[in-house]
Amino acid sequence: MTNVHEEATAQAEGTVQEQAAVQQEAAVQEEAATTTFAEDGPASPAAAGSARPAPARADWGWPRWAWRQLTSMRTALVLLFLLALGAIPGSLLPQEGQDPAGVQNYFASHPGLAPWLNHLGLFNTFAAPWFAAIYLLLFASLIGCVVPRTFRLAGAARTPPPRAPRNLGRLPHSASYSVALPPGEAVAIAAGMFGGKRFRLRRPAAGDTAHWLSAEKGYLREAGNLLFHLALLGVLASIAAGGLFGYKANKLLVEGSSFSDTVSALDVFHPGRLVTGSDLAPFSMTLQSFSASYYTTGESSGQPSSFDAKGVYSASPGGATKPFDLRINDPLNVDSTKVYLIGHGYAPQFTVTDASGTVVYDEATPFVPANTSNFLSDGVVKVPDAAPTQLGFIGVFTPTAFAANGVLQSAFPAADDPAVSLLAYEGNLGLNSGVPQSVYQLDTSAMSLVTQQPFLLRPGQSYTLPDGRGKITFAGYRQWVSLAVTYDPGQIPALVCGILALAGLLLSFLVRRRRVFVRATPAGAGSVVTVGGLARTDASGGFEDEFAELVAQLRAAHPAPEHADEAVLADAARPEPGMSPDTTLDKTETGA
Amino acid sequence: MSVNQGMATLSGDFLMAALLIYSLAVVAFAGDFAFGRPRRAAVRVAVPRRVAARTPVGAVIDGADGADGGPDSPVAGSPLISGRAPALAGAAPGDSLPAASVSAWRAIRQAGNWVQAGLAFSALGALAQLVAVIARGLAVGRAPWGNMYEFITALTCIAALFFLYVMIRYRVWALGVFVMGAVVIALGLAETLIYTAAGPLVPALQSYWLSIHVTAMTLATGIFFVAFVLGVLYLVAQGYHARVAAGKAAGGNGLIARIPSAEQLDKLTYRTVIFGFPVWTFGVIAGAIWADQAWGRYWGWDPVETWAFITWVLYACYLHARATAGWRGTRAHVIQLLGFASLAANMLVVQVFITGMHSYAGVG
Ligand code: HEM
Repeated sequence: MTNVHEEATAQAEGTVQEQAAVQQEAAVQEEAATTTFAEDGPASPAAAGSARPAPARADWGWPRWAWRQLTSMRTALVLLFLLALGAIPGSLLPQEGQDPAGVQNYFASHPGLAPWLNHLGLFNTFAAPWFAAIYLLLFASLIGCVVPRTFRLAGAARTPPPRAPRNLGRLPHSASYSVALPPGEAVAIAAGMFGGKRFRLRRPAAGDTAHWLSAEKGYLREAGNLLFHLALLGVLASIAAGGLFGYKANKLLVEGSSFSDTVSALDVFHPGRLVTGSDLAPFSMTLQSFSASYYTTGESSGQPSSFDAKGVYSASPGGATKPFDLRINDPLNVDSTKVYLIGHGYAPQFTVTDASGTVVYDEATPFVPANTSNFLSDGVVKVPDAAPTQLGFIGVFTPTAFAANGVLQSAFPAADDPAVSLLAYEGNLGLNSGVPQSVYQLDTSAMSLVTQQPFLLRPGQSYTLPDGRGKITFAGYRQWVSLAVTYDPGQIPALVCGILALAGLLLSFLVRRRRVFVRATPAGAGSVVTVGGLARTDASGGFEDEFAELVAQLRAAHPAPEHADEAVLADAARPEPGMSPDTTLDKTETGA
Repeated sequence: MSVNQGMATLSGDFLMAALLIYSLAVVAFAGDFAFGRPRRAAVRVAVPRRVAARTPVGAVIDGADGADGGPDSPVAGSPLISGRAPALAGAAPGDSLPAASVSAWRAIRQAGNWVQAGLAFSALGALAQLVAVIARGLAVGRAPWGNMYEFITALTCIAALFFLYVMIRYRVWALGVFVMGAVVIALGLAETLIYTAAGPLVPALQSYWLSIHVTAMTLATGIFFVAFVLGVLYLVAQGYHARVAAGKAAGGNGLIARIPSAEQLDKLTYRTVIFGFPVWTFGVIAGAIWADQAWGRYWGWDPVETWAFITWVLYACYLHARATAGWRGTRAHVIQLLGFASLAANMLVVQVFITGMHSYAGVG
């Protein structure tokens, strides 16, 4: 159950009536209502006693109060709840980090609301100051409760269990039986058995004439809980480290071309706070070929079955080149910097000659897939060097072309029958206007249409622009891949901490903190042994079974009296409060 | 990788059979409610336990409990009980009865024909569903939870199996109609609304870690599904008991009286959640490993990830609430239900394994 319960139990040591009473859930609530977590220590009576802070001295009264509030269980709960609540806008609104275009669209469609949301940081929720405030307070609270608990646990692990209560029959689980041994020996055998099971033991002090034994086990449950919370801190620290020292970048690479990992060569570069350009791993790579295969039959026709990007890379300038074979879910690792295949598309190759007959453009031009199920792609060709005026083309590429009601469409994502449809413009491309331009968009504000109708080209075909303006040839196509280049030093630590958190969780749920008491009183030639058990925490249940098993083992180790009928045979387990007949949660087997 | 149509058909047939058999199970459990012999406490009012413990036996409003303390009750006959203080014995009647200490088989035999039929149908249905899930896996040559339809099919199978275990372990026959009813509804909706023919996976989903991730998520969802039903029942039982205590409702209402007490449901819910929580945690970690392999970042606040995080935090909240003064009971359970609501929203609204970043996202 709860720590509250533990503490109450620990304090009630010796007064069994109290102990039985605090078993009751309502009592736990009452108790709990008067304590905060900062006070309700786990475990041992000594720890629980000393855990209560001394009354605050006047000069420290206020900060101390604030700190106790922060580290209280209730505050932790509220902060956790706020953390969940605070994450919601991050999933409902487009986020700068994930979907900048979505944010722009949102601004366009909600001009009144968007600036307000932006003020609140809702387009960058997970980096917003208020979100940081929630988790930083939460982790402050965590430190404030975990550190004292660690000390208390260390203390508890060194303190022996409490004395055995006088009447063990009143404990939640108890059993008694007769043995043919004097009480001292009966308890000694029990001590041997529990000691062998690695229980922590306590025996009567020297002057004590009674024969009893207290045994306790399961400190790992608290340790697991601590490990879990500390590991969460570790996860946060790892994420922070990644944010400071890591970087993320994107690069679009057409078949046959190369790039080296420098800030200028990357399309998008998101460095961590403490990263400079010189921190980038100095590798370079060349994409030789990319292939995508698709299912061609059945309902999943058109669905991709595999992607494969092949090429060579070298880890440092002038270093040996090695081949790579990039696939989805299978990144390339160059000295801890990883390169991922995250997307692909087509780059039709165009050759443009201008009015004077000079070749002014000869490139594979990446088009952006507008529809990933058939790879109909959009793109533009900008020819700034064309004379007498600059030329521009807006195009659609279809890997498997067909005409749907006179509109060019693509039937399949593979390039089975590629075609492009182009519209030609002339005028000023606006490249020198100082305003940065997208390579995927044509600014036609200072341009005019050369052709009123789009024209269609198959590979190898050319279109001659009217009035001797020149000619454009669709030479064929290449494919491009988009790569993510990332370096995150916090990754492995985060994973390790995640695994530790999981381990702590399992310990905390599976280990039960329990005490077993044994008393022996003289009866005739032998003695009567009474065993009592109490699980202080038993999250996943099962102490009843363990107790029954322990009693059975103990009885087996104790020689029974000659007259079996003398035995008081009652391995009764008193179920938890509120349990009723056929629905008792905790199955108990009678040991008899 | 092609689809084995024979296996796919077999899977579909077994799933329909499972749905039918589960429906029979629900009917049988409902029959137990209507016609089965009364078994347990009509009303156990949520008297503060400390008070209850000190009240003389008769004063505990314990309804039919007394009737169950038959002559063979160890409570009555036990030499130990005589050693107990009368004050404590007050809480005892009805708490300890034969079923608590008999084997599962005997408990089932004692539970009556309706329950036996319900259990048999549930087990048979779960078996048929298991065959369906495995056949689906063989048909598509991969783990059979690659899309939402398969996911729900698999998780309801886990919920049914897990619930059978809970029911037998803790003898809570009365929950059968609710949990199996919920399974039938979920499965029926999946079958009619989002049926997806057997097919292969896109490359991003062809990952070893993904299989592990989705397996864990499926398992945890199945477990949380059971916790959700238990939590709803808790609120019903608790609300009813509160009304009885306030004199606003009559004790002995047939239906309510038959579900376990609020305390039992509270405990069962807790045990179910702490079983599901580490599995969910593991699933999130495995998902992060996969996300790292697929996209080069282990966590990117993608909507699906964000909701998995929210769900995790809400269940952590629930676990905390249970240990926080003034938050145990109804409030904690409401948080638990919110946790499941966020999980369901993720599954059904944010569409886990079908679209968005969580399938292979091309540029543009
Ligand atoms: C990042 C924030 C936190 C998360 C995700 C979290 C999560 C959890 C979880 C899942 C449990 C149940 C596992 C177990 O019992 O070992 C738990 C238990 C616990 N947490 Fe936290 N926790 C957080 C912060 C805190 C803080 C700030 C405190 C202190 C004020 C705290 C105190 C406790 C205590 C005392 C328990 C044991 C409850 C019991 O005995 O059942 N936690 N926490």
